Amino acid sequence: MSQYMLLIYTDAKRWEDVGEEVQNAVTGEYYTYTEALTNSGALVAGEALQGVETAKTVAQNGVVTDGPFAETTEHLGGYYLIDVETMDEAIEWAGRIPGVPHGLDRVEVRPIMVFE
Amino acid sequence: MKYALIAYAHPGAFDALTDEERAAFAADDAAFDAELADRNCIVAGEALAEPDTATTVRVHDGRAVLTDGPYAGVAEHLGGIVVIDVPDLDVALDLAQRCPAARTGPLEVRPIRT
Repeated sequence: MSQYMLLIYTDAKRWEDVGEEVQNAVTGEYYTYTEALTNSGALVAGEALQGVETAKTVAQNGVVTDGPFAETTEHLGGYYLIDVETMDEAIEWAGRIPGVPHGLDRVEVRPIMVFE
Repeated sequence: MKYALIAYAHPGAFDALTDEERAAFAADDAAFDAELADRNCIVAGEALAEPDTATTVRVHDGRAVLTDGPYAGVAEHLGGIVVIDVPDLDVALDLAQRCPAARTGPLEVRPIRT
């Protein structure tokens, strides 16, 4: 088994634009998805992050600034850390992440670094 | 309160270090990990493999489209995440400022959604 990180990049503007009904529906689908991942035994850890307006960034010189690091429209919104046999299996789980088919979120799948 | 420490890495920043700097970095990193362990505040934490190992998944009209490489269109890439459970933001920022990963790229601190 290998661990993979499913990094969820979220478009806050799109989430806002779709309205409360879709937001609630997709949030519900996230709960169902997390339950399926838990029941499969693959889930190691996972968290949703608060909006980027809550972020602080620490620079290399130790200076702290308000706001996220990356000046992009999409930001890291959360992650799932899963333990599965293959990259294909990780990709299959990634494609089922509810915000992805709705065009609200995109997912990057990356193996965990193993230190020898 | 739970906070995510999100480490972005400048490409090549670690490789550019001298052997001596790299050894110091590894030692500081081990000490930092030990401090987090002593505080018993680690919820989860992982370093990610290099960005060229990434696959990005998009779904269009119900069909998954896979592309090689990381998603974010910035020069720096996500290098790792540590989720910590500490009393407040000040403690999270203090730890972030002392985290060795802040030397190889910006470190973003963001609360976990409850």
